[in-house]
Amino acid sequence: MSTPPAISIKGLTKDFSIGMKGTKLRAVEDLNLEIADNQIYGLLGPNGSGKSTTIKIILGLLAPSVGACEIYGQPSGSVRSRHSVGFLPEAPYFYRYLSGTELVRFYARVCGVPKAEQAERVSEVIELVGMTEAAHRRVGTYSKGMLQRIGLAQALVHDPQLVILDEPTAGVDPLGSAAIADIIRTLKKRGKTVLLSSHLLAQIEGLCDRVAILHRGKLIREGTIAELTSEANAESLVVDALTPAARTAVEAALKTHGVRLRRTETPRLSLDQLFLKEVSSREAEHNPSTKNTASQDPGKESDS
Amino acid sequence: MQTIAANTFLEAVRQRFFNTVLTIAVALVLGAGFFQQFNFGASELKFVTDFGFGAIFFFGAILAITAMTQLFFSEIENRTALTLLAKPVYRLEFLVGKFLGAHCLIGVFCLLISTVLWGVLYWREGALMASFPDSFPDGRTLAYGEVFLFGFVQWLKFGIIAAIALFIASFSNTNLYTVVVSFFVLVICQLQYIARDAYADIANPMLAALVWFLSLLFPNFQIFNLGDRMVVPGSEPALTAATYGGILCFSLIYTVLFLLLALVNFRRKEI
Repeated sequence: MSTPPAISIKGLTKDFSIGMKGTKLRAVEDLNLEIADNQIYGLLGPNGSGKSTTIKIILGLLAPSVGACEIYGQPSGSVRSRHSVGFLPEAPYFYRYLSGTELVRFYARVCGVPKAEQAERVSEVIELVGMTEAAHRRVGTYSKGMLQRIGLAQALVHDPQLVILDEPTAGVDPLGSAAIADIIRTLKKRGKTVLLSSHLLAQIEGLCDRVAILHRGKLIREGTIAELTSEANAESLVVDALTPAARTAVEAALKTHGVRLRRTETPRLSLDQLFLKEVSSREAEHNPSTKNTASQDPGKESDS
Repeated sequence: MQTIAANTFLEAVRQRFFNTVLTIAVALVLGAGFFQQFNFGASELKFVTDFGFGAIFFFGAILAITAMTQLFFSEIENRTALTLLAKPVYRLEFLVGKFLGAHCLIGVFCLLISTVLWGVLYWREGALMASFPDSFPDGRTLAYGEVFLFGFVQWLKFGIIAAIALFIASFSNTNLYTVVVSFFVLVICQLQYIARDAYADIANPMLAALVWFLSLLFPNFQIFNLGDRMVVPGSEPALTAATYGGILCFSLIYTVLFLLLALVNFRRKEI
């Protein structure tokens, strides 16, 4: 029997009622996603694109208006499904009066980690996130980076199979970000599935196996980084104005110099460029007066 | 649930508000022992008793409403509820955990104030016995153990108040709204006897039944006002175990009812 997908979202729509009249605001529209086990999956989108709503539905904190969401085959609204989920919210706030160890132990108890295993699990995850030295200090004294790391520890303390990280590196310095990225890679090596929501596109590109881009609640692109960032029917040479004849001539010329052309590469957009191009073109469709500055000649930089 | 309750209690006792209310209440009860102008025998003891019971009710009610509201909204506003409810935790566990944590806090308050009141009464009665031995031919007159029993009965009442505050918080969006509405409900519950007198005089049976049903929605807090009968000996008959059992059942029914109503709202609440 094959492992069910870590997350399966089918036809998900979420409407919020606003104001006294109950005007509907559609946060997510007909979203279909399937995230396989043991992947690092990136969820991208500008502010208000429905990322957080989607994450909350996956966590059972919100009920979908239409559609279904499952975690390893269990309905995401069920408490049972959350035994296999760890969650780090954006800009986490924890009980300031507890020490790092007490905080992680508290969440271990809440998650039902057996008492005999609690001490070992707590010290293991604290070590994994590199907080052993500061674990005895009160959470109120932690820096932003330390809060993210202790937040990661509480998300992992019950050894979940799926870890959902909402902006795990927001406000964290590059070193801290790199450390968190290393932890995410370690989780994948341990067989975990990671759903990562972030605005740091370069980090997503370096970490994720697949990504989905949301815009105004709709899924606009989904696939592997290579699939999304490759340009079909295009080749890249690090030369200007190359014609086929010129290329042949270049190859011949290279040969005469004892140098061979080993390969040609498909030009690629960076993930940042793709993201900005896709989002701003749709933004322009919704609001034609918006000046499309982000997508100006996106291929220009990637020719090299 | 116990873990959430223990953490809520820990959070609550660290709040300045609790310590401030406790300090003021203790100071007032201690101060009651120094009202020398009432130094005319057993009446002074009744005054001190009433004053102490009044302090338990007044500050306990403030504590029950504000602590419950604050402890609930701090979880929502600081978004710690987001982390907690993303764990394998039922919303009922969360609500009951918050309630039990707040109720334990109120229990500590009732126990401390009852202990202080007990001490003040014991000291003043001893002093009065020395000054007016003729007024105390049979030794001490107060039922001291009943001071703690009164504290326990008030604790049950504060449980209902805290559950009502939690119910209001479950559909409210702000801390202030919850506190204000909860105090209104508290006043209605305290003045239930007026409504009961009114519907007893209604001739129309349908209308009387409707008013009677509406009166059930608000627990009648007069049944907890037994302080004098419990502690100060008088002409009124002593309270029986059945009375206490009835109060206990009444409290449990209303507390559970309001917690369940809170759950109905909270299950739909978007965190």
